[in-house]
Amino acid sequence: MMKIKKQSVIFGGLILVLFAIGAFFLHQESHAGNPMPAPPLKTVAIDSTKCIAPTEYMRANHMRVLNEWRNSSVREGNRIHLAPNGSKFQKSLNTCLGCHGSNRLFCFNCHMYANVKPKCWNCHLSPMETP
Amino acid sequence: MKKVIMPFLMVLLLAIIPFVGVAWARLDYLFGVILPYTAMVVLIGGFLYRVVDWLRRPVPFRIPTTCGQEKSLDWIKQDKLESPSRAWHAAARVLSEVLFFRSLFRNTKAELHEGAHLAYGSTKWLWLGGLAFHWSMLLIVIRHARFFFIMVPGFVDFLTDADALFDVTLPAFYITDALVLAAITFLVLRRLKDAKLRMISLPTDYFPLFLLTAIVVAGILMRYVAKVNVMPVKDQMLRLLSFSFDAPGEIGVLFYVHLFLVCVLAIYFPFSKLMHAGAIFLSPTRNLCNNSREKRHVNPWNAPIKFKSYTEYENDYRDKMKKAGLPVEKQ
Repeated sequence: MMKIKKQSVIFGGLILVLFAIGAFFLHQESHAGNPMPAPPLKTVAIDSTKCIAPTEYMRANHMRVLNEWRNSSVREGNRIHLAPNGSKFQKSLNTCLGCHGSNRLFCFNCHMYANVKPKCWNCHLSPMETP
Repeated sequence: MKKVIMPFLMVLLLAIIPFVGVAWARLDYLFGVILPYTAMVVLIGGFLYRVVDWLRRPVPFRIPTTCGQEKSLDWIKQDKLESPSRAWHAAARVLSEVLFFRSLFRNTKAELHEGAHLAYGSTKWLWLGGLAFHWSMLLIVIRHARFFFIMVPGFVDFLTDADALFDVTLPAFYITDALVLAAITFLVLRRLKDAKLRMISLPTDYFPLFLLTAIVVAGILMRYVAKVNVMPVKDQMLRLLSFSFDAPGEIGVLFYVHLFLVCVLAIYFPFSKLMHAGAIFLSPTRNLCNNSREKRHVNPWNAPIKFKSYTEYENDYRDKMKKAGLPVEKQ
């Protein structure tokens, strides 16, 4: 009696494992022909003629703006920054550098002075690296 | 409870002073130039005064606290750290105390259980909390080098990167910021929780803890919450290091709160228990060799004693001794 019970538990377990494996493959199959839907890209043209915020604010808080831009544009696909005065900007480093890139040391002057090493240039090309 | 609330209110008041002074009274020259110089003069002068004062005290006898085998016969193993007999043993002993709080590691706690059952157990929490607090503090101070030097030494960069190892949030979250807050919270709660510790704790125990908490909180707020433009801050720090008396630029008030509290700490330092930073090196129960058997230590201010040798004694009393029938060495 005891032996049969033990065996049925083992076989039951094996069947469960087989089911789980099968379900996993079925799940994979059902997704194969159906790639992740791309979120509609909300964006505006790059406009570097206006400042997105007052200089005083940007001096202390630019890293926050850039961080917020990166997170919302990359993770949520929202590439439009709405300034308090109603004007819209594309959340892109190019929006900043279109104007600030004219001085190649614009970022580096202060960052080297304060010994702060941002991670921007791990992926992006810095104004120092562009011709 | 008064002895906890009073220092707390004092720190709160101290934190408000630069707020009022800079935001309303526009005294940023006082808080940004005059006070830092004053604080540094008081700190360095006061520290030196206390240390020199201690160094001038005579320590005629060996009074180290030992808990190991002292140097004896060759075949008996000496415990060089617990009972030092050479200068470098004692130096290693002091350094192990300074760097790792070795004696706190032996901290025990007596507990009265049901009935008349007294039990002793090891408690390492104070050791751990103290160690976390002091090492975090050291790392935080080293990290601040980037505000004081144009060219920051490589090891500072290395330590800063290691501190921001998790690389979360922006600006990158420092592990020591969380550690120092956790440790200082523990150190405050430790005094408040236990009735015996509450009894022996004084306002002067709570005040530095609250002051350091306020400094840390102001610094953390400046970094992560209410951002301050770093450029004029670094300008000002470089000016202070080059002994310039130029007026500081436009800096956020929170920075002045941080700086003012640091100045208060620096001024308070030489007159308070915080002098343990210098005293630990000069503590005779730690830094002396246990060599009383090897070497005779004479108290330098003992009055000179006129000794009389037995020969002199016999010379003086020979006749009387002979009359009384006492044996004499020389007839």
